[in-house]
Amino acid sequence: MSNLFVRKATGLVRSWSVFDAFVYAFFSINLITLGLYSFSQMYYFGGGMVPALIVSAVFIFFEVVVYAGLIAVMPRSGGDYVWQSRILGGGIGFVLAVTGWWFILWLWVPLYGDMFRHIVLVPILGVLGAKDLAIWFASNQSGFLGLNGAFTASLLTLIIVSIFIALGMKTYARIQKYSFYGGMLGLFLVIVLLLTGSPDKFKDGLEKNAVSMFGAQSGVYDATVALGTNAGASLPFTGGSVSLIFLTLPYLVFFNLWPNWGATLYGEVRGATDFKRNISGMGWALGATTLLGIVLLYAIGKTVGWDFYVQAGGAWWNYAWGFSTDTPALPVWPYPALFAAFLTSSKILQFLVVVLMSLWWFGWSGTVFLSSTRVIFAAAFDRLLPEKVAEVDERTGTPIYALLMMVVPSVVVAFLFNYNIAGFQSLTLCSTLVIAVTYLGTTIAAIILPYRKPELYKASPIAQYNVLGIPLITVAGVIFGGFLVFLLYQWILDPNALYGIGYSINENGYKNGTSLIYMGVNYLLAAAIYFGFKSARKSQGIDIDKVHAEIPVE
Amino acid sequence: MTILFFATDIHGSDICWSKFLNAGKFYDADKLILGGDMTGKAVVPFVHQGGNNYKVTLLEQEFQITNDDELADMRKRVRSRGYYPYLTNPDEITELEKNPDRVHKIFHDEVLKVVQQWMDLADKKLDGTDLKVYCSPGNDDMDEVDDIVRASRRVLLVEGQVTPLDSHHEMIASGWSNRTPWNTEREEDEDQLKVRYEAMISKLKDPHNAIFNIHVPPHKSGLDEAPELDKDLRPVLAGQALKPVGSTALRQAIERTQPLLGLHGHIHEGRGSTRIGKTLCINPGSMYEQGTLLGAIVKLGKNKIENYVLTSG
Repeated sequence: MSNLFVRKATGLVRSWSVFDAFVYAFFSINLITLGLYSFSQMYYFGGGMVPALIVSAVFIFFEVVVYAGLIAVMPRSGGDYVWQSRILGGGIGFVLAVTGWWFILWLWVPLYGDMFRHIVLVPILGVLGAKDLAIWFASNQSGFLGLNGAFTASLLTLIIVSIFIALGMKTYARIQKYSFYGGMLGLFLVIVLLLTGSPDKFKDGLEKNAVSMFGAQSGVYDATVALGTNAGASLPFTGGSVSLIFLTLPYLVFFNLWPNWGATLYGEVRGATDFKRNISGMGWALGATTLLGIVLLYAIGKTVGWDFYVQAGGAWWNYAWGFSTDTPALPVWPYPALFAAFLTSSKILQFLVVVLMSLWWFGWSGTVFLSSTRVIFAAAFDRLLPEKVAEVDERTGTPIYALLMMVVPSVVVAFLFNYNIAGFQSLTLCSTLVIAVTYLGTTIAAIILPYRKPELYKASPIAQYNVLGIPLITVAGVIFGGFLVFLLYQWILDPNALYGIGYSINENGYKNGTSLIYMGVNYLLAAAIYFGFKSARKSQGIDIDKVHAEIPVE
Repeated sequence: MTILFFATDIHGSDICWSKFLNAGKFYDADKLILGGDMTGKAVVPFVHQGGNNYKVTLLEQEFQITNDDELADMRKRVRSRGYYPYLTNPDEITELEKNPDRVHKIFHDEVLKVVQQWMDLADKKLDGTDLKVYCSPGNDDMDEVDDIVRASRRVLLVEGQVTPLDSHHEMIASGWSNRTPWNTEREEDEDQLKVRYEAMISKLKDPHNAIFNIHVPPHKSGLDEAPELDKDLRPVLAGQALKPVGSTALRQAIERTQPLLGLHGHIHEGRGSTRIGKTLCINPGSMYEQGTLLGAIVKLGKNKIENYVLTSG
């Protein structure tokens, strides 16, 4: 029996495909870029990777519920900024949104650049026989114009993502979809090569290819084992106590805290279906990525050898982070797709593997600026930035000024990071911390939503979902919020001296002044912009507080 | 200086209409302008189950109504989202499923009933004030809406007219849009829109100081980005692929005439402002389902916009 009649009216669209939503969330928690990059850095942790992946996914599922719930209550609103502004207030919304979705992305640029050189440039150049160029990109040696490979990769990243912005979301969404299919084919080939290989075959392939492609010395395998062991490589594949597994999570979430980046905000005159569809899209992405991660790590363990994989990561990062002066015997980042390519003597297959796997980066990298330009535009529309920054070039459709507000600071931060000025390379996890603070703001907004905005909540399709009489969004928010508080405590106070980005209360821990100052400057800058523009607008007769205030109904 | 408050696409939401009428006092505005699409999109059947009992499905949640208080509360809840409650019974629902004309008639009656209530409320609330309210129904609004608005004492119907707002500024207005996939009430081809716009522009005394209150946004303005749809009206790529759907005729008219201000709506996701040459174009967007009145305050000076801001009320 019909329970709703709709007429012909603009905007009445059918539900979007859950699979499409899955693809974008799946690419946001990107196993190959974010995943392999962070796994290799986690060589010194004691919690097993498999249980850590599963436990983190369980907590992050509650993030999925929180975001799907907020989307169901306030769809098409633009996300964190609007949710926080309306529930917590305009100032908090602005500061947390611009730090988490704009400023901290400056720091993500050198990280995207680092992944670009390790996952795209070095493997492809190596397979194509451009040995010197590949090694230059992989190393920190000065080259053309005195630039090093890492900084050059950051600059190339900026150019590529700027092109993605200029192409527009419609084109980039298609690039992402094609990258998904190509990337999955590449990963399939990698897993097949790894599962059908053997440790001896890998050792043989490594010795041959690392020498021919990247100029490694013979005996690279054993030398890497020795360097990794000296670095303290100890990360287990499984096992570890509950405490050790939990202490692994603050590093692991660099990889998988982001399924909500694929959330879809569209829909009208529907209801609970869209809530479930968003949960399905993001939840399946989280589950599939976790499962695929375990399969990939198992395949790596079977043929490359788990210990060798962890030791290679230890050898690379122990040197890169300046804890050792011993250069890695393997002169390139230990990239499992490259290891898989070493298992075949076919140059065509090697090329196919590294090119297809590079699509994981191309299909993901555009997101670094897309979210930022949206936040910059929203702030400009709220008159908290000059009108000019929301201008779009009429000929190309490119948001020139918004792009400049991303690119220029990113060049500065990438320079500081890639030349490790003032220890900037220790800031990697700050990229996650600042966004986690933004998420915490959104999560608090979700927790109090049913009580702060009862009419809005009761009129939403999630009002029917309760746990022991408590709204599901509140319950999910408390669990995910608790998880975020745990992460922030570990990062900032670092009681076990594991993360290096806070002010460790452990006497042997790192008290990272650069990190604290950098993050503090981000928040101060956001607050200064908010209060500065609020004051300036007031002098022009615009009361920013009133702009966000609710008009009385009666 | 004249202060305008502009909102649009409130789609039958009682809360948004009340807020709109209160916006003049709240924002110290002199003129209230409602862009098109005042009317709602859905009828929610309240299916009688005997006695005081009704079954209602709202946003895919089923509610059992057992007394008059619950009935009143649910009616308010449905109206707050811009939908129309309709008391019925299982036999009539079966009949309605077979007879689209009867469904159309119900929509027609409910829409016009609510528009009349809104005009009555405006006449009552704004009595004794100097506040002017201007309205031009949009492409989703049926023709009969015009007659009801026209009969209001306090709300002026401005569709197709040149309306003086103050001694310096005139406004042209139209709720007609270019073609949509939904074949709505007021849509036509671009060449017809061009004729429609020209008819009004030619009557302007000072086009550079004019306001174009045109429901549809100009093409490729950034205010007209909507999810790309497939042939089944399903957003492609999970709504990630956006495309411009605004009017090319309006864009040309703005580029050629260079009015002071363009006020637009139609694309609820297209909230923002932009400049086309010297013309400031604004689409405040719409979040009518949540009872939030998105709008824009614009301070008009002589030959210039003194200031503007988008609001979320």
